[in-house]
Amino acid sequence: MTDQWVSFSRRGVAELVHLKGEIDLANANDIGRAIVARTTTADAVVIDLTAVSFLDSAGVRLLDFIVGDLDDRGKPIRLVVGERGPARMTLQLCAFRTDLLATDLEKAATELGR
Amino acid sequence: MSESGVPDVTQELRLPWDDDPEDLYEHAPCGYLTTLPDGTIVRVNETFLAWTGYVRADLIGHKRFRDLLTPGDQIYHETHYAPLLAMQGEVHEIALEVVRPDKRRLPTLVNSVLERGPTGSPRIIRTMVFNASERRRYEKELLHARRAAEASEQRVQVLQQIVADLAAAPTVAEVAEAVVRAPEPAFQATSTSIYLVDAERDQIVAVASTDPTTGNWDDMPRSSTRAVAEVARRGDLHVVGTVAEAEEHFPDLAESMRRSERRSVVLLPLTTGPAEGETGITVLGVLAFSFRDERGLTDGELRMIRLLGQQAGQALDRARLYDDVRRREERASFMARTMRSMEVEHRLLQRARRLVERMVAEIADWALVRLQVGPAGVVEYHGSPAPDQAKLDVRTAAAIKSGEPVFATDGDGLGCTVLPLTVRGTVLGTLAVRMAPDRRGVEAERKFLIDLADRSALALENARLYEQERAIARTLQRSLLADSVPGSDPRFAVETHYQAAAQDMEVGGDWYDAFLITANKLAVVVGDVVGRGIEAATTMGQLRSAIRALASAENGPARLLEGLDRFCDRVDAARMATVVYAEIDLLSSEVAYACAGHLPPLLYEPAGSPQYLLQARSAPIGSRAGDRRRVEHRMRLAAGSRLLLYTDGLIERRNRGIDQGFEILAREYARMRDAPLKGLAAGLADTLVGKDHGDDVCMLCLTLGTEERLERSIGADPLQIALLRADMRGWLAGHGVETECLNAVLLACSEAVANSIEHGYRDDPFGVVDVCATISPETVEIRVADRGGWRGPGNDFARGRGLQLIYESMDEVAFDRGDDGTRVTMRRHRGDNHD
Repeated sequence: MTDQWVSFSRRGVAELVHLKGEIDLANANDIGRAIVARTTTADAVVIDLTAVSFLDSAGVRLLDFIVGDLDDRGKPIRLVVGERGPARMTLQLCAFRTDLLATDLEKAATELGR
Repeated sequence: MSESGVPDVTQELRLPWDDDPEDLYEHAPCGYLTTLPDGTIVRVNETFLAWTGYVRADLIGHKRFRDLLTPGDQIYHETHYAPLLAMQGEVHEIALEVVRPDKRRLPTLVNSVLERGPTGSPRIIRTMVFNASERRRYEKELLHARRAAEASEQRVQVLQQIVADLAAAPTVAEVAEAVVRAPEPAFQATSTSIYLVDAERDQIVAVASTDPTTGNWDDMPRSSTRAVAEVARRGDLHVVGTVAEAEEHFPDLAESMRRSERRSVVLLPLTTGPAEGETGITVLGVLAFSFRDERGLTDGELRMIRLLGQQAGQALDRARLYDDVRRREERASFMARTMRSMEVEHRLLQRARRLVERMVAEIADWALVRLQVGPAGVVEYHGSPAPDQAKLDVRTAAAIKSGEPVFATDGDGLGCTVLPLTVRGTVLGTLAVRMAPDRRGVEAERKFLIDLADRSALALENARLYEQERAIARTLQRSLLADSVPGSDPRFAVETHYQAAAQDMEVGGDWYDAFLITANKLAVVVGDVVGRGIEAATTMGQLRSAIRALASAENGPARLLEGLDRFCDRVDAARMATVVYAEIDLLSSEVAYACAGHLPPLLYEPAGSPQYLLQARSAPIGSRAGDRRRVEHRMRLAAGSRLLLYTDGLIERRNRGIDQGFEILAREYARMRDAPLKGLAAGLADTLVGKDHGDDVCMLCLTLGTEERLERSIGADPLQIALLRADMRGWLAGHGVETECLNAVLLACSEAVANSIEHGYRDDPFGVVDVCATISPETVEIRVADRGGWRGPGNDFARGRGLQLIYESMDEVAFDRGDDGTRVTMRRHRGDNHD
């Protein structure tokens, strides 16, 4: 049901979450459930937001929840955003911690997947 | 010597020694008695004395012949012997028994002759006595044999009746009933019970008894130490003559005998297979019959009993086979009916549905089909109650992994059998079923289920292939349709919609297309090829390519249609296709259109009401009877105009005239004038035809130019926000708003609308949010208004974040909350002027 927005892969121990398209109030909950089902036991998570064309506060709430969950478990997480673009804009407007953000998927995945 | 040389036997032969007549009398090979007419013995020979043990002196003059006889024979002597002798003068072969001094009896045969005196009065009786001991023994033996034969015959009759009953007993239960009635008439048993072996459950079960107050009726494992189980294992007849014997070998039997006051018990295995004594016999049950008294059994009886065991065993075997055959017939019939029922449906989901419904109707109380096809798979189930999901998942995974069925067993806590649905070695999915625990034929039941799964898998696979073929035709059609409809040109926007027939139909030949002929000239097309299926889809693709090839800056719609007429000479399948074709000059906003037998386009201009474009009509492509003079019509469109091209599936209904269809379409089109373009066509199709329609629907909606103001009204549904965003993105781009500003405005607008939906209309799913956007060279202004009851953001962290995003992404934000709703006005400077 959420396949058009979210897909998964793995790099070492890191769970890679690839998001694309518009994430908003209408689909954020479903996407969130799909992601949590894969990340709840992961040792590291990288969420790739570079293909996201729109991200609203419901999407931010979803990312905030996942980050909080991994922080609580002491596992690392990175959000990969482009140098510019809608996802980076929204996250910056919400003042997400800069240590969470990365621009290079490969680098972030390799670093966390070890 | 006679003349013939043969000795003359009329004269005595001279013996080589003297034969003393006295000696001959005394030692003759028979006894001689001479008595007076009253029976008094006056002379007796030695032979008689030697046979009887009497002394001559005791007899002569002291005894009458009849005194020597048994009491019974004395009466016979008086009533028969004496009168006969008196009347006939002689009697022959009278059987009489002489009582010897030691009281033993000597069976004899007696001949007597009465000699009369010259006056005719009786003078003397001469009696010859033959020893009949041997003869009597022989007679006794004969009698005994006859009696034995009679008893045997009675048993045989009883057994014959039983065998006849057995032959007529069609079920195991009836065989048991017949067998249990045999021992009482045949062997004078007191009571009888029958036990049957259930090989698959490895149990022995008591099924019938003529005296249910005796015995132990619990099921026992075949390995039990109880007497019945022991005999079933050994397979030969056990006669337990006394309680003491039972005590020694079968304590449980001794206990039961004491309790029910029995002295002897016969335990007879009911066998089938080779004759007794050979290996390979099968014990199907045990017949136990008992006697109130101690009872020995003759060889004949034992033979009969063994025979009964074999007859009953064979009858049981036959009844079991018969039961199996009947069950198989039922299963086969169920299978045939189920397969027929499935074949009526062509679609995968419906077939799966039929399968589980048929199973629950006849053989199961719950059934589920799970197919690993498509992204979501197919799950169909029927019946109740549903089993434990977690356990079922485990079993399903096991069946898929191994490719082998996992059968329900007693006490597994689930009771469901899961069978893989396998076709050509590939596991397509699983069939889970819960059936009433069947006591018999477990093995046959398993084979049946495997067969059912195999055949169902094939039927489901065929449905899947059918769907796949349909899907391929659809994909071909879709790929032709979806190809490169131009977007991201701020001067126009195109929205298309294709809805396949809901009923089980092959793909149709409807199509739409939009393409740029030159940088400033756009062509839009909707057409309909006659026929269905892959051929129609292919023809549609050819026509579509032909139109693209024929479209040029110089030609115009009329000449393009003439080109299509010529095209039909080579591609006959395209004949009678209908087409509406329009070219739009993006600089002058002039439209030129032509209709070849197609329904008229519907135009909606910002000021005014929808109108059908009824000019420039001619016959379908390649028509021979119709008017093929191709004409076109030109007109200028206002910015923000919407032009709708569509196929007949949108308005044609069997139960209403086409005029009415036109009216309804125009009315709905007007009603949706403020709806976002994205989703407009789908919304129209929803309203006009719904989901259950019999024809394909193909639509193309073109918005021309960028409106000065963007005004939209959307329902209070989160899904609508994305549609609004699409319109607004196009509108902002059309006005040349740079990316960063555009993204910020989209974010703020989305958050504001989300606020209205989540707070203003939290209790009103039918609420409407109005959005109005205006633009100047310096700023973009968005107004979002609802008529709901705003609750304030204070207690909602997430919405608080939404508001934060609005404030962060816009330069000016003003909330105006009144009794009749809330209005947010947001402004952002364009370019580098953003703070």
